[in-house]
Amino acid sequence: MSGVTLTLVPAPSTAPPPVTRTARGLGERLAPYAYIAPFFVLFAVFGLFPFAFTFYVALFDWNPIGDQVFIGVDNFTRMFGDPRFWNAAGNTVSIWFLSTVPQLLLALLLAHVLNHARLRFALFFRMSVLVPYVTSVAATAIVFAQLFDRDYGLLNWVLGLVGVEPVDFVQSTVGSHVLIATMVVWRWFGYTTLLYLASLQAVPRAVYEAAAIDGAGSWQRFRHITIPSLRPVIIFTVVTSTIGGLQIFTEPLLIATGAPLTCGAVRQCQTLTLFLYEQGFGEFEFGYGAAVGVALFVVVVVIAAVNYLLAGRIRADR
Amino acid sequence: MTLRLPALLVTAALVLAAACTPGTGGGGGGDGKSFEFWSFAAINQKVSVDAYRAKHADVEVKLTEVGTSTETAQALTTALAGGKVPDLVLIQGDNLPKFVQQPQNFVDLRTLGADDIKGDYLDWVMKQSVAKDGEVLGIPTDVGGMAIAYRTDLFAAAQLPTDPAAAGALWPTWDAFIETGKRYKQATGKAFTDNAATSVFYQAVNQVSEKYYSEGRELVYDRNPQVRAAFDVGIKAATAGITAGQTSFESAWSAGLAQGQYAAVAAPSWMLNTIRSTAPDTKGKWAIAKIPGGAGNWGGSYLAIPKRAKNPQAAWNYIKEMQSPQGQLDHFGRVGALPSTPSVYQDEKLASSKDPFFTDAPTGKIYTDSLLGLKPFYIGPDSATIGQEFLNAITNVEQSGGNPATAWDDAVRNIKTAIG
Repeated sequence: MSGVTLTLVPAPSTAPPPVTRTARGLGERLAPYAYIAPFFVLFAVFGLFPFAFTFYVALFDWNPIGDQVFIGVDNFTRMFGDPRFWNAAGNTVSIWFLSTVPQLLLALLLAHVLNHARLRFALFFRMSVLVPYVTSVAATAIVFAQLFDRDYGLLNWVLGLVGVEPVDFVQSTVGSHVLIATMVVWRWFGYTTLLYLASLQAVPRAVYEAAAIDGAGSWQRFRHITIPSLRPVIIFTVVTSTIGGLQIFTEPLLIATGAPLTCGAVRQCQTLTLFLYEQGFGEFEFGYGAAVGVALFVVVVVIAAVNYLLAGRIRADR
Repeated sequence: MTLRLPALLVTAALVLAAACTPGTGGGGGGDGKSFEFWSFAAINQKVSVDAYRAKHADVEVKLTEVGTSTETAQALTTALAGGKVPDLVLIQGDNLPKFVQQPQNFVDLRTLGADDIKGDYLDWVMKQSVAKDGEVLGIPTDVGGMAIAYRTDLFAAAQLPTDPAAAGALWPTWDAFIETGKRYKQATGKAFTDNAATSVFYQAVNQVSEKYYSEGRELVYDRNPQVRAAFDVGIKAATAGITAGQTSFESAWSAGLAQGQYAAVAAPSWMLNTIRSTAPDTKGKWAIAKIPGGAGNWGGSYLAIPKRAKNPQAAWNYIKEMQSPQGQLDHFGRVGALPSTPSVYQDEKLASSKDPFFTDAPTGKIYTDSLLGLKPFYIGPDSATIGQEFLNAITNVEQSGGNPATAWDDAVRNIKTAIG
């Protein structure tokens, strides 16, 4: 014990010469920063800088191979008056709604089933729901676009067997939204299911058994035990799927191959991110594209703030 | 430790520097003879590069097939804005005006001797790559011309004439083309052509004497009666029930082409390659007739040299040799792309060329005829955007149940939004 005290209070006479000490001390003090530097350098170059630069570019009429003229907030005023922006915003909300609601309901039911004590091959089923999640989104989009094709699609062939006229999913507004939402649900339901399942397994089995003994049926147990105990994670998945839904890009880009950047002739399934991409890298209006990016950022921040408030309220309730 | 720390920092600084410094040039070696060439995919550019290399064994050509013509233009824009540029790049005519607006990004080919060869090319084609102060930014490699490719077997089944001259006589005008389509549909119950937007409107609007801009380079798309007439004929075709509703170059369009879902398709010279590779089993079932209206052009590309190119001279040597009238004629023999040099149009190799895939249609003659009667117009920086919105409006009526009565007004409004 006393030895420790001694090293903590070094006598001035035993101190090494000042020059060596500072050089060595500086090196030792900086070393940890050097070790963690790669991440921060890469983040600064590929994350922070582009992020901050977007705000700067948004204030310009920015031609990447020509002039860059400062125009203040003109890009934003143009955006608020641009029907294409509002169309993309509407499509995004519509696709988000059509994909999130069925996805969460499906995941909730599946998690409830997978959590069942007497389910055989539980591990197999729990693993298989993740298969769509690990499939490349581009591959998913191409396969689904073929399944939903007007002339040669499997779905329309089946519909034809029961006498239904072929449906042109991609060219109609509702159809294209349903098609994209189906792909999103397909890709994400397994992931959400596992989140719910993990949370459910924290619920003591005794609660379910007690309810069963008291005469609660399956639905009542689902309604009064499963859902309340999942409330925090449901809020979490709603928020993450909302943020994900605002950024849907690959699916709409790949289904309308004739007019990919607008997702069809009348922009029927063009989402906000696709509109951003069309303006930035199709039309090369970098400034306007950046402005759309800033708007998207603001929306995501607002949703994150709502999440924070809701989560706080749940904690307060408990 | 004291030794390693600076090393780490230097490494980090190098990573940073490498990530931030714009590339300073293209490939090619340091010998000044070799060069890097960006071209489109699926146009068989390699054949010509190989032919060039066979004659110049000391020249290395690094050919990159970037993607579609649009993707190539996008990659070029990104490269010009601060990346590694090629020494030589192929630019499709529709993408050209945006680059011509910013001539500072390219080598003015007059400095390499473009004035000596300028006269070899079709005047109106050459004009499109000349910037406002006379800078020559690109040399035309080919033009499309216009024609209709049709299935003789399907025409025969519908009791329509199969001989190219007789088939061409069915449709002196676009209205007559639509009437023929109705006859075909009545006889077979099947679609006559692939779509109204590309196969009718886009052809008709490229047969005008003044398009989206006036002679004085003013925007006139919304009040030019010729554009309106082309649009109306497109809407008429879209609502006549004669189209398959297949947007050109989509996967279902390709499938429809191979399966005979439609019997006729607008086909500039480069489209013959598309048909040949998309539907190889239909060999000998096609023929080519003249386009309604007789003359017009769709497509054609240019070779340009970016300003920051490392070996502009090597790239220019390639242009000069391969894009000479004789070079383009040889290229026609290899891949069928129509020369932009009228001096070879009478050449036996071109004038009497026949294509067995298209039942020995005299392709050279049909396409050169469609060019010689052409009325050139000015193509401006927003021409591509305007054209796309008109195409979209017609596709909307044809495939998404859009209202034909308001289609024109909707298109004009969308164009105003798009071009600001």
